[in-house]
Amino acid sequence: MRHAAHFARLVALVAVAVAGFLFVRSKVVPKDFGVKGHYRLSAIADEAKREPRHIGSADCADCHSEIYEAWSTGKHHIPQCENCHGPGLMHTKVVGEESTAAYPDKMLKVSKLAIRRPTGFTECKWCHLKTFERPSTLKSIASVEQHITQHNGKYTPDSKCVDCHNPHTTLVTPGKSGLAFLSQAAK
Amino acid sequence: MTTPQTSDDVTRRDFLETVAKTGGQSFLFGSMFVNTALLRLPQDAAPASAKAKADAEAGKGIIYGFVVDTTKCIGCGSCVRACRAENGVPDGYNRTWVEQYTFYPNGEVVVNSPVGGENGFAEPGPTRNMPAELATVQPVRGFFVPKLCNHCIDTPCIQVCPVGASFKTDEGVVLVDHERCVGCAYCVQACPFGSRYLNPDTMTADKCTWCYHRITKGKLPACVVSCPAEARIFGNVSDPTSKISQILATNRVQVLKSYLGTRPRTRYIGLDSEVI
Amino acid sequence: MHHFITEGYVLPNQQHIYWTVMIVLYPYITGIVAGAFIISSLHHVFDKDELKPVSRFAMVMAFAFLLFATLPLLNHLGHPERALNIMFTPNVTSAMAGFGFIYSTYLFILAVEIWLVYRTDIVHLYNETKYPALRPVYWLLALGVLDISKEAEAVDHKVMLFLASIGIPAACGLHGYVGFIFGAIKANPWWASPLMPVIFLLSAIVSGVAMVMICYIIIQWLNGREISGPAVQALIETAWYFLIIDVVLELLELINHAYMANEDWAILKTLVTTKLFVSMFVIQILLGSVIPFLAMGAVVVFKERIPAMVRNIIGVAGGVLLLAQVAAMRWNVVMGGQMFSKSLRGFLNFEVDIGGREGLLAGIFIFCLPFVVIFVFSRLLPLWGDVSTFPKEWMKEKPVERQPLKGWSKFSS
Repeated sequence: MRHAAHFARLVALVAVAVAGFLFVRSKVVPKDFGVKGHYRLSAIADEAKREPRHIGSADCADCHSEIYEAWSTGKHHIPQCENCHGPGLMHTKVVGEESTAAYPDKMLKVSKLAIRRPTGFTECKWCHLKTFERPSTLKSIASVEQHITQHNGKYTPDSKCVDCHNPHTTLVTPGKSGLAFLSQAAK
Repeated sequence: MTTPQTSDDVTRRDFLETVAKTGGQSFLFGSMFVNTALLRLPQDAAPASAKAKADAEAGKGIIYGFVVDTTKCIGCGSCVRACRAENGVPDGYNRTWVEQYTFYPNGEVVVNSPVGGENGFAEPGPTRNMPAELATVQPVRGFFVPKLCNHCIDTPCIQVCPVGASFKTDEGVVLVDHERCVGCAYCVQACPFGSRYLNPDTMTADKCTWCYHRITKGKLPACVVSCPAEARIFGNVSDPTSKISQILATNRVQVLKSYLGTRPRTRYIGLDSEVI
Repeated sequence: MHHFITEGYVLPNQQHIYWTVMIVLYPYITGIVAGAFIISSLHHVFDKDELKPVSRFAMVMAFAFLLFATLPLLNHLGHPERALNIMFTPNVTSAMAGFGFIYSTYLFILAVEIWLVYRTDIVHLYNETKYPALRPVYWLLALGVLDISKEAEAVDHKVMLFLASIGIPAACGLHGYVGFIFGAIKANPWWASPLMPVIFLLSAIVSGVAMVMICYIIIQWLNGREISGPAVQALIETAWYFLIIDVVLELLELINHAYMANEDWAILKTLVTTKLFVSMFVIQILLGSVIPFLAMGAVVVFKERIPAMVRNIIGVAGGVLLLAQVAAMRWNVVMGGQMFSKSLRGFLNFEVDIGGREGLLAGIFIFCLPFVVIFVFSRLLPLWGDVSTFPKEWMKEKPVERQPLKGWSKFSS
């Protein structure tokens, strides 16, 4: 122990530090880390347990059976309900009077019934306003004004597609709003 | 009488003796912690392998795959909107997006993805990339390319994560552990496809999960359900009767940046050489 | 993070730059550490005696900068409170995971080395300090062991040599791995290169030597002390040689990119000739490489024929330009790699934040902190030589020997 006492103390300090590190590590690292791979196993469950926010059109039918019938038998059955109406989970919770405390405000604020209220105009243009790159098999219009004028209608800046088209069945009812026939199946 | 040893030898021997004694004692204590902290106890390993065996026997050897058919995409943006709503994706970031490729007579290609294609492309808004000299030129051809996380087999993102927050499930889905991620954004840099971003709300890395919370409940990812053109197909590639297996069996498929060797599980139909 | 102005087509998730000032600052700080350590090792291990006047200071400067190397990283992380995960569950395939262990090991080596160099002075000052409040500080620094016999010093010396020799590869590791963090990312064509670790290491040495040189000349000049000509000459020569190898490799990388002209070259060429023109060609190459090469080269070639005053001015001015060169190089790599999109079709125009958590002011503040540590150190221990150079007024007054009074000599024997 001659002339090296300071090294002994240094080594002891280091050993304490390493032991302390390992001790803290044993407390902090989750027990299921590294079991299957270099990750925390319960992270998979954390991701999987999230609630799907889009419920699927079939579930909309539980309450909106007539509209569902009209839509699913009509020509517009390809875009799903939630494409235009947004995710339905919050809506089912609000109308079913369930707690929505666990969900972010942004999801609820879309409208009083927590489901998107389509404009009857913007949604249609997503698919049906022509762009050059779009495959031409899809029915598209070059411009709203041109389309209305071409069909002998009166165009105003407030004109909407649903003024004439039923959004669920594509049934055209010129002069009468398509919204009046939402539940009516196309013949 | 023995020859006196030099003071050097004495010093060195004493020094080594001291260090060895103190070091040895400390190491014994330290190794106790090492055993509990670092090494996996044998019984931890057994249940994982036993479970895997049971899963495989129960036919749970699912491997997911994704196919994007760019010949069918109409650029409506339904997938981008559905994904954002389903997963609470923050504004300014995308888990999936659609790119618009427009070709002009002089051979020039203009690529756009205004807000990721969220508003479609008919009225995309002012963020559209359009060189002034081509604004009045009639294009010759064009198409749309939806993109999302490729859930690679040899992921560069998992490779670089320093803390083990990025990982892959048995089904091949690449996920992020939002409780371990330190937000260094190394994975964001390492992804060749730009699929990842740092979520400003959670300050952790984030990306498309193939809607893991939906597919594990028998549903399809939100983007697949909402696509009106059947441009996105998802399913179990280890099941030869599934729709995706049949599509893969009957089509020529490509992947993005194959030369990087990440082996994406997301395949594309109809990729053009201009798609990078 | 805010949106930046984009040109062309930038991938949606790349409309933010994730690694900014803090990530430029981190390799800059560890670079200075590596360079300063090389200077002190050149004296301690390779017996370059001309560097003796600066070797203690270089070591202390390396240590002071190393103490703050983690700060820019912690400041940048989305979750700094989880930072220790890098050491608790390191992913062995991630270069970044090496940080915790490489850094701790190197910090330990450097700390022990300084401790051994200063141990006799610490014990001496424990006995001789004028301020009783400092005695416990010196006692702690000595780990409570006051043995400064010749034998103890001999043991210290042997261990110190050993540490200095493993310290050099450790310093190379500390900086080389940073280069690897960038160089191994195949997703980014501006970064992906096997030369990256070497370039980072060489520019690190250049910056560290330059910083030692500037500090030495200015501090000695401000205190009216002698500036050792051979020391400045040796510093300039070391910086010059490493500058040459560094610039050759930096240019080689660029030329290689241009010559191979891969798919990414079109956008990289635009990046380098427009967005990075000033930071690369003006600052990094012209001001930071060519001018120091010529000025310092004159000192290397003409040696004693250069007057001391001119040599010192070239040392400081050249050193400043070299510091700017290395800063520009780090900037060009880190920011340049994020200013173009992986779509290879678009750019981001980056405007650096002045304020804010990761802004310029925060970076400058962090960069100044090591100097505070060096100042505090200098109040406790001698920076530029052994304890005989420590200010006498801080040590206990030695009892004055009474001279016999001249007029009373007939009464003294």
